[in-house]
Amino acid sequence: MTTGLHTGSGAPARPAPAASGPVQPDAPGRRRPAGGSARAGQARGFVMALPPILIIALFIGVPIVLAFGFSLGFTGGLNHTIALIGQNVHEAQGLPTFGAYGDMFADRRFLGDLIVTVVVTLVSTAVVVLLAVAIGLYLKFADGVIAKALSALAVVPLFIPVVIASWAILGFYSADGFLRSVAAQFGVDFPVWSFTMVTVIIGSVWTSLPFATLLVTSGLQAVPRAMIDAARDAGASFARVVASVVIPMAGVPIVIATTFTAIGILGSFTVPYFTGPNSPNMLGVDMSNYFSAFNQPQQAVVMAFVVFAIASGIAAVYVWANFRSAKENAGKQAVR
Amino acid sequence: MTAVSRKVLARALAAVFAVALAVFIIGPLAWLAVRAFADSWTYPNLLPDGWTLHWWEVVFRDRSLGIAVQNSLFFAPLTVLVSALVCLPAAYAFARFEFPGRRFFLIGLFAANAFPKMGLFVSLAALFYAFNLMNSILGILIVHVLGTVVFMTWIPAAAFAAVPRSLEEAARDAGASKLRVFFSVTLPMALPGILVAAIMSFLASFDEAQGTYLVGAPDYMTMPTQMYSLVLNYPTQVAAVFSILLAIPSVALLLAAHKHIVGGQLAEGFQIK
Amino acid sequence: MTSNPTLSRAASHAADSATAPASDGAASDGAPRTGGAPRTGGLDIKGLTKVLGGRTIIDSLDMAVRPGELVSLLGPSGCGKTTTLRMIAGFLTPDSGSIMVGGREVVHLGPEQRPSAMVFQNYALWPHMTVAKNVAFPLRLRNRPRLSKAVIAERVDAALALVNLLHHKDSRPARISGGEQQRTALARALVQEPQLLLLDEPLSNLDAKLRVKVREDIREIQQRLGITTLIVTHDQEEAMSMSDRIAVMNQGRIEQFSTPAELYSAPATEFVATFVGSLNRVEGRIEEGRIVAGGGVLGIRPEDVAFVEDGDSGSSADAGLPATVERVVPRGHFAELTVRREDAVLRSFATGAPPAVGARGRAHIAKWLEFEDGKLVRKGSA
Repeated sequence: MTTGLHTGSGAPARPAPAASGPVQPDAPGRRRPAGGSARAGQARGFVMALPPILIIALFIGVPIVLAFGFSLGFTGGLNHTIALIGQNVHEAQGLPTFGAYGDMFADRRFLGDLIVTVVVTLVSTAVVVLLAVAIGLYLKFADGVIAKALSALAVVPLFIPVVIASWAILGFYSADGFLRSVAAQFGVDFPVWSFTMVTVIIGSVWTSLPFATLLVTSGLQAVPRAMIDAARDAGASFARVVASVVIPMAGVPIVIATTFTAIGILGSFTVPYFTGPNSPNMLGVDMSNYFSAFNQPQQAVVMAFVVFAIASGIAAVYVWANFRSAKENAGKQAVR
Repeated sequence: MTAVSRKVLARALAAVFAVALAVFIIGPLAWLAVRAFADSWTYPNLLPDGWTLHWWEVVFRDRSLGIAVQNSLFFAPLTVLVSALVCLPAAYAFARFEFPGRRFFLIGLFAANAFPKMGLFVSLAALFYAFNLMNSILGILIVHVLGTVVFMTWIPAAAFAAVPRSLEEAARDAGASKLRVFFSVTLPMALPGILVAAIMSFLASFDEAQGTYLVGAPDYMTMPTQMYSLVLNYPTQVAAVFSILLAIPSVALLLAAHKHIVGGQLAEGFQIK
Repeated sequence: MTSNPTLSRAASHAADSATAPASDGAASDGAPRTGGAPRTGGLDIKGLTKVLGGRTIIDSLDMAVRPGELVSLLGPSGCGKTTTLRMIAGFLTPDSGSIMVGGREVVHLGPEQRPSAMVFQNYALWPHMTVAKNVAFPLRLRNRPRLSKAVIAERVDAALALVNLLHHKDSRPARISGGEQQRTALARALVQEPQLLLLDEPLSNLDAKLRVKVREDIREIQQRLGITTLIVTHDQEEAMSMSDRIAVMNQGRIEQFSTPAELYSAPATEFVATFVGSLNRVEGRIEEGRIVAGGGVLGIRPEDVAFVEDGDSGSSADAGLPATVERVVPRGHFAELTVRREDAVLRSFATGAPPAVGARGRAHIAKWLEFEDGKLVRKGSA
């Protein structure tokens, strides 16, 4: 297959593959050695796939390299303008400087916000995934009005801009909000959740739920009925069927949903900005403040890299899960 | 007997869960919607003191709010168009060609979503300052397109890959050219997936606030970024009215595409193959 | 509710019609002696009915399978055989009727509580578990008494040895061939030591060559263990070659329940006659070797139509009517001829060197079946 790679249609024709079927007048297209057309396909595929990759490289890859340099005090080249505009910029004298990192890690407020960010991300992601799995399992094993209602409800937030959602949630749990009003009817003094981390978590869960639910539900639906029947036939209870067969077989989509949810919440700004307290709050808000209000872009970039470091750990899990599923699929195809 | 009562109990629990979820999801939106028609509202009453359309008038009269609406309706379709032109050929290539670096490219695309948003925008700033993209239409467009690349590549790629090759081959065998096969077989069959991608991209652009605010404010305000200042500077009822307006296109799209999105087109796209 | 009192091991050694439940409503049976000593319970179904979406899928079905017997449920797709199997396994709840396994009513039990084990059509092997883990799963669920790891490992090895798959113990299902997956599924069912083994189209996903081998394997293991087995299949050859008895199903009812040989030689209904084996179906009756109008429907097996070419000598050289060969389809060790007589066009099987198309001779009908209102009324021969 690889020997005739470079030949085009002009080369002495190899015998056409036996499978090419009845004789057709447009022989040249078919007669071309398989290696040649495969190579053309490779080149075309590469070129077609390039534009989005270039956009990502140019507007994510390059900026991140630049920003990393900037955070270490390299203020020349493309970083020149931002270094001029920003205040409290640490400049590298030949060697990188960790001044900006030092600023941030000496800042108790930053450290507090870092902990808050991690905690909110963990708690919200856990709640989102639990809800998504619960809804997905219900849809898998039951149908009827409740199932329809659950699946419709869970996707609603997908279509509501985050800004509105945050604003609506703030009002719902505020001092004169719905929950407190209802509680007051019964003479109960319900706590005010607005501008606390509780609403930040509620808002994060609210906005992340549809995406996770769609991924998890579709993963659970993909578990064949016969696999579940086989487990029940073997004597497994419902709980055992779920734990030993359904969840493991939908493991990859669940991991993907978890990582996407966690990364989304980790970098969120709107929800904590609207519904959270002034301090402590999540790093997304801090970054925006340092960048715009305090005009200290270098410190903002430092925070970004701290968040990236956490995210890269999560992303690694995602990539691992995907490769694992690709491997399993490859195995299946090899048998067929 | 016990099996039946257990079933009833399970159903009752599920119903309670569904009601709780409804309050959790719909409650805040409904509470906000009522506010848009409220005159004044005394705590702890469950309904406003009186009803009025006054706040709608305020919104429709306000020029800056109108401009925000215009900007949003300008950026969202433009983003979808640019994103489709850039990404759809790539989606087809991922589905149909095996080329060197394919897997690396797929993972690379994931990078667009692997970096938490706010950190990414802050990092973008140096480049934008250097090339004078701050406070520019092009700058905002870039931010918006960045948020759609993953949707526009992965979901259509999965849709293209799901078109059986044998159908394309049958059309080729019937005498159709490659281009003809693409437009009369492959594209129509992949259309639901592409549609979902377009809708998700439209919503992503329409919804984008953090990056637009960082890059565009105060020169270019879209509806979501306008909300940031609205909340601080106007009565809550005005923000409520504006929220309803902002939600209209999204809800219309929800009703139009609900079936395909719930049908797994979205989920399919997020598994690298 | 007559339970089956004859389900002890001792009684079932005498595998003849005496052990058949008295309520056996199906056609007469003369099951051949099976080799192994049955150690498991029989299956007794009475009045089983299932209505789905207003349609009666299964209509008051009765069937009794003796301990140690291998029975096939044979029928075209949509006849209700899979529905019946799923009700026996417990995945579907019947609207009425009784299902007894080993003399115990199981109709109210979930599939996990029934003493039956099933081999699924697509094997349903859990892809995230190895072959050994798949087989071990049912044992790990036992908690009265809970089995020790050593006992489980021992039994898994025994089951895998039985299906000759020990070398693939640690492979994932996706990595082994279709036939090996099939055997894994069989091992997973057998390791449960079920009283009743259910197989849903067990050979439909295998290629033709493997199919013959696997069906011999299944039969051999079934006989060795003497396990009561019910197989659902649409393939008559499969059913004929494996079963002690076959229940032919059509439109939610059992048309005939008897041995393969009887099914073929004395089909109770026209449906059975056409579904099992090849058949010339001609309207009319036979008078002096000639088909004449009137009467019911004739069923003539192709092997009972003898064609002798002019000039050939033979025992039946001048029997039958003049005929012309219209078509010859080679079938390997025999050929299928289409011959035209003055009264009908008939298919005939010819062994040896087949005649050429257009050859003239005589075609003779040696045996035939006569049906009226779809039921067999007479077997005729010349």
